[in-house]
Amino acid sequence: MINSNPLNVGRRRVFGSVFSPAPFEARSSGRGVDNGNTQAASPFHPDASFSTIRTGSFNSPQPGKSFSSTLDRETWNQAWCLASDFLSLPHAGFAEIYNARGRVENKGKASRWHRPPSQEVAEALSYLACSESSETSSELNGLHELLLWYGGEIRRHFLANMRQGLHELFRREDHEELIRSIVECLQLARRMYLTPVANHVLKFAEAEYREKLMAQLQRVFHTVVSYSLPWSKISPLISVVLAKEALIILGIDTLLNEGDMDANDRDDDAMEVDRRYSVFYDHWRNESPEGRERMMIEGEDNHVTTARERLLMFLQGLQQVGLGGDKTQKVFASVMNIMMTEFIRAAYTGKWEAPSLVPQHLRHWVEDVFARLAVQVLAIIHHPRMADKSTNILNVSFSDVEKWQEMGIARLGTLRTSELFDVIVEWPASTGAIEDLRHFTTYPAARSYLTHNFITVLNQRLLQPGASTLEILQLYIAIIRAFNLMDPKGVILDRIARPIRRYLRDRDDTIKVIVSGLLAEPTSTPNRSALPSTHDTLAELPTELSKAHQLSMENNMSELDWDDMNWMPDPVDAAPDFSKSKGTDVIDSVVSLFDSKETFVKELQTMLSDRLLQNRDNYDQEISVLELLKIRFGESTLQACEVMLRDISDSRRVDASIRRDQGLVKLPTRPRPKRSAHASFPDLHAKILSRFFWPIIPEQEFKIPDEIAALQERYAAGFEALKASRKLTWLNGLGQVLVELKLADREFSAHVTTWQATVIYAFQSDSSSSSSSASEESNTTTERSISSLAEQLSMTPSLVRSACLFWVSKRILAESSSSSDTYHVLESLPTEEEEHSSTTHHAGQQAGQSAGTSTSTGPQDNTTLTTSAADAAAAAEAAAAAAAKESADAAAMEKMNLYWQFIMGMLTNQGAMPLQRIVMMLKIVVPGGFPFSNEELREFLAGMVAKGKVEIVSGGNYKLVH
Amino acid sequence: MDYTMEDTQNSAPESLETTKLSGAGQRNETQSVTKRLQAELMQLMMSPSPGISAFPNADGNLLAWTATITGPTETPYEGLTLKLTFDFPNNYPYSPPTVLFKTPIYHPNVDFSGRICLDILKDKWSAVYNVQTVLVSLQSLLGEPNNASPLNAQAAELWDSDQAEFKKHVLSRHRDLDDEE
Repeated sequence: MINSNPLNVGRRRVFGSVFSPAPFEARSSGRGVDNGNTQAASPFHPDASFSTIRTGSFNSPQPGKSFSSTLDRETWNQAWCLASDFLSLPHAGFAEIYNARGRVENKGKASRWHRPPSQEVAEALSYLACSESSETSSELNGLHELLLWYGGEIRRHFLANMRQGLHELFRREDHEELIRSIVECLQLARRMYLTPVANHVLKFAEAEYREKLMAQLQRVFHTVVSYSLPWSKISPLISVVLAKEALIILGIDTLLNEGDMDANDRDDDAMEVDRRYSVFYDHWRNESPEGRERMMIEGEDNHVTTARERLLMFLQGLQQVGLGGDKTQKVFASVMNIMMTEFIRAAYTGKWEAPSLVPQHLRHWVEDVFARLAVQVLAIIHHPRMADKSTNILNVSFSDVEKWQEMGIARLGTLRTSELFDVIVEWPASTGAIEDLRHFTTYPAARSYLTHNFITVLNQRLLQPGASTLEILQLYIAIIRAFNLMDPKGVILDRIARPIRRYLRDRDDTIKVIVSGLLAEPTSTPNRSALPSTHDTLAELPTELSKAHQLSMENNMSELDWDDMNWMPDPVDAAPDFSKSKGTDVIDSVVSLFDSKETFVKELQTMLSDRLLQNRDNYDQEISVLELLKIRFGESTLQACEVMLRDISDSRRVDASIRRDQGLVKLPTRPRPKRSAHASFPDLHAKILSRFFWPIIPEQEFKIPDEIAALQERYAAGFEALKASRKLTWLNGLGQVLVELKLADREFSAHVTTWQATVIYAFQSDSSSSSSSASEESNTTTERSISSLAEQLSMTPSLVRSACLFWVSKRILAESSSSSDTYHVLESLPTEEEEHSSTTHHAGQQAGQSAGTSTSTGPQDNTTLTTSAADAAAAAEAAAAAAAKESADAAAMEKMNLYWQFIMGMLTNQGAMPLQRIVMMLKIVVPGGFPFSNEELREFLAGMVAKGKVEIVSGGNYKLVH
Repeated sequence: MDYTMEDTQNSAPESLETTKLSGAGQRNETQSVTKRLQAELMQLMMSPSPGISAFPNADGNLLAWTATITGPTETPYEGLTLKLTFDFPNNYPYSPPTVLFKTPIYHPNVDFSGRICLDILKDKWSAVYNVQTVLVSLQSLLGEPNNASPLNAQAAELWDSDQAEFKKHVLSRHRDLDDEE
């Protein structure tokens, strides 16, 4: 038993109520003392006083008469004793009640508590009912006073017996059964307490008081129950039960077990039954409109009905024992709150199909299922004071339902917001989700929630080093399209795009990806040879380019259209510098990432030059893209690109005429060059570029074969004759050569780069002097070392090595066993390999010229030679990369000269400086930043020290030497 | 290229708002000055003129530069290294920079605290001038002082009367700043 203050007080109150009449009586008579003693000794174990009372007879005093004599008083005391004894409650009880719970009605047990009143008791009761209270001031009669006392008795008994047991229950069980047994126990107790009064006592009271008296006792019971059961312990239990039943009633459990359900559906024939009543969004979608109306009202499932009954019963019990009321309403509200979220999550996650009916479905669900449960529940657990007034009035008004629907839509918006990233990834298969969001983003708070949330997700999942620029751009385009649908004003997009754009601007390769995307063909054609495959470019861009153009033509004037009756101001959350036109057009947004068009045009030029220099039949794609871009950027911006395109088409004509004039055409049809045949010369075609308009093309310098050089001279002469005052500068590093090699046992032909061709030519030219017929047929193997080739061709060694490795991968050259870096022509293949490798080369020739392709398409063989060929191919690629890097390094050194100017200026004007300071200053003042590290600069400066341009003075400061 | 420099239309709205609130296009102006100065520096570096050089100060503030003029041949200043400071106003190039000689110099148009009397640095300033043209003008001023409006009357007089004495004065006044640093 808890020994706390309130309890002591309570006990004192109980005792006070029991003994209150006694001292009063004791003063008046001896009998009264006697009577008082018995009461004091034990009010629960009546003894002698019974007999005395039984002997006396009660003459019902007339109401209104006062106690004038001691006899009256004595009689009253006797009656009181008798009645209170009848009503007094036996001591023990909780264990019995606990054991009795669960049995239906448990009449037997309960009857032990309900002795029917004996004749005397009945008389005493009716006497009391007629007599006045012993307290003269009170207006109540004896019966009222008796019931007041009984209220105290209930309190006392409950605290003494039930409370302990209930507290033990908390310790024993901790699942949801607990609350049920508690409620059942309390119900039994309540019946135990109130039945005697209801059955036997109340009939003596005046009719108009009966209800009031009963309510009074009930209130006493409720008070003591809520006093002794801590609400903090009860409410979680109630919410568990509520949640469990609500899950079933609201249909959430079926949604959660969707997988199992579907499996079951296929097995048995319950399909049709399910169809009629279902909270499934998919089922509902497939239903006809009339069916939709009915779907959630009719044909409730069995288990739902039972759950509903169970829940209502439980709540009834709660209400009866005083655990209902507004406290439980609160619990119920919080449970329903969770349920709504839960339902929305379970029902609509991943349901993104367009056209979206989710909001309608949700509204239906709220109205038909959610609100229905709420009405039913609230009808039971009402506030006790409201009880009599609102029995017939619905506790749930229609405006409440509407409010719930709005809440539901808001929750749906939250769900969709959290899914938004995946929705965008799935775009355009997920249009429905965006439509849902449109219902959600109608007020500023929701919009800012959405933007804030989405930006956080973007930062986490997209705008990080792990995502490629291409992915980011693709998603950005999807975002533009999706948000256009959601918010045609483009305000949300405007906000969301900012961090993306800021991030994209920091990426080095953004422009490259965009431009290559623009130039990519909308339908990827397989026969494109020289460019990387299109699936990893932004292939949407060209389509978007032509589409967006038409659109912009249509609503160009919308902001200036004064007659537009549908005009709306920008929403309040629009950024101050918001302008609609910027955000909505994909091409515009992508291109405007960079504030100057120059950067974009420059990259476009580079990309265009790469593509135009390929040997292709037509450049329609480039031309059309350029035309569309011209509409956007204006003619002048893209003038250089225009010239580039014209160069290419002009060169074709010029090429033809020069070749004709110079007699370079051997046959009327395009002749195939036969290098092996003597006296004939290779076909030379040229593209004539206007140097001024083309970007700087990185180039490898080397000496081309004399034969070709001679042709070039003739060609150049022809050009100068055609176009006076112009000169040709040959860019030998660019271009393609069709090489045909005739070896002892095989022939080989492929398009290769000029430097690869030059290197292989070097292997031939030497032997051609020794034999008059086709050079390769001679069996004398020529060996070349890389260094000698590099010298002979004035080519960088790394480029030579790269070319040699390329030919090794084609199995034309082989590395000499004697010394590394020396190669010879592989005149004939090892015999067992012959057939296999010829197919390999054949396949390689068809599929393109990539070395990797040729080895992988060939049949895989475990012989060492195949492996070495594959290795060689890889090595060739690596060597090519190395060569490319070398030329890039050379370009970087070129730039270093510029930095040297900066360093000189710095040291001249600011005096001697330490290295860190120099680097820091360079980073500040050099446009585009300073790309080298401290170490690289130190190395560079060391070179300058060696040249005597700078010196290192005290403290590691660099100082110019004057 | 540095895209962040002039990124007004894509910057966060908050920052833009504050810019709008606090004093007009202050920031934009500073930005355009910086951009202009950067371009000038680039030009100086790409096509250096003989005998002149200039560079922003090491504190990273592009609005303050140090320049160096090497005394032109066949002038009293031949072989001397003269240092100057450039202070650019916020509305450069619409106002001239403040140019001062840091190296003590004896010159008719320069006073003893280094202030220069040169019309293009005062009322004849135009936005088409730049650091390079100012420096070239100063370089030529060393050889052809404008004695009509001298700041150093003694020097002006001496220039006209006694070149040898003038050169002596120049050399006695000159001190290389490098030694101090």
